[in-house]
Amino acid sequence: MAELDDIIHQPLRLKIMAALNALPAAAPGLEFSRLKKLTGATDGNLGAHIETLSKAGYVAVEKAFVGKKPQTTVTATAAGRGAFARHVATLQEIIAASARQP
Amino acid sequence: MTSIDSSEAASALSDIDSIVRRVRQSRIYDLTSRMLILWGALTFVGYLVTWLSPRHAGYAWVAVYVAGTAGWALISALNRARSGIRSFDIRIFVAFLLFIAFGIFSCWLGHFTPRQMGTFWPLYFMMVYTIVGLWVGLAFVAIGLSIIALTLIGYFFVGEAFDLWMAFVNGGGLMLGGLWMRRS
Repeated sequence: MAELDDIIHQPLRLKIMAALNALPAAAPGLEFSRLKKLTGATDGNLGAHIETLSKAGYVAVEKAFVGKKPQTTVTATAAGRGAFARHVATLQEIIAASARQP
Repeated sequence: MTSIDSSEAASALSDIDSIVRRVRQSRIYDLTSRMLILWGALTFVGYLVTWLSPRHAGYAWVAVYVAGTAGWALISALNRARSGIRSFDIRIFVAFLLFIAFGIFSCWLGHFTPRQMGTFWPLYFMMVYTIVGLWVGLAFVAIGLSIIALTLIGYFFVGEAFDLWMAFVNGGGLMLGGLWMRRS
C-alpha cells in the first residue's frame, strides 16, 4: 500500500490542498483571504501551514499589490497536485482494504 | 510514516469533499454576484422608465434584455480568461432564449395587463432562481423567495407606484443580493 503524505495529512494543510486542487490547473489560485474563509483558519495558522506546503514545493505563493492593498495568492504546483492525488488514492485504499477484511 | 485506520481515512475524505463543495459554491457565487448586480441595475432602469414613461416601456425592456445578454457574455468571457472556466455557451444561451420565449407565450396566452406582466416576469425568473438554489446554494433560495414575496406584496397592496416599487424590490433586490452573495 502507498504511504500517506505526512505534509499533506495535517488537517489544515489537507484542507488547503483540497481547496487549491478543486480549481482547474489553469486557474490563478486562491487569495489568502478566500482560503482563510474556506478553511476557517486564523491568519497566523494559515500562513504557517502555507509556508510548510511552499517549502515542500506543493504550493506557489505570489504576493502583489492590488491598488494599495497587498494580495497574496496561493496556487497548487504540479508536484502538489500529484502528491495530493496520491494522498487521496492512499486514503481510498485504506478504506477499501478495511472493507475487504473479514 | 503516518498510519491511520479506515474511519480516520473516511473522515479525511469527507473533509476533502466538504472543502471542494465550498470552493465550487464560492466560485458560483462569485460569478453569479456579478450577474445579479448587472441584471439588477438594468432591471432597476427598466422599471424606472416604465414608471416615468409607460409609452416607452416596451423599448426599455428590449434594451434591458439586449444589454443584459451582452453583459452576461462579457462577464463570462472575462471570468473564463481569469479562471479558465467556461460559463457561457450556446446551450445556455438557447436555454435562456427558450425560457424568455415561454414567458412571452404565457403573457400572450394570459392576456396580461402591464401590471400583471410586471409581476409575472420577476416571479418567473425568481422561481427558477429558487429551484436552482436547492442544488447550488441557499443564498439563491433566500434571494429568490424574498423578491417573490416583495413582488406579491407590491402587486396586491401598492397602488400606482407599483413600477417604482418594483424598481427597488426587483432591481435593488438583485443588486443587494449580488453584494450579499459576494460577501458570503
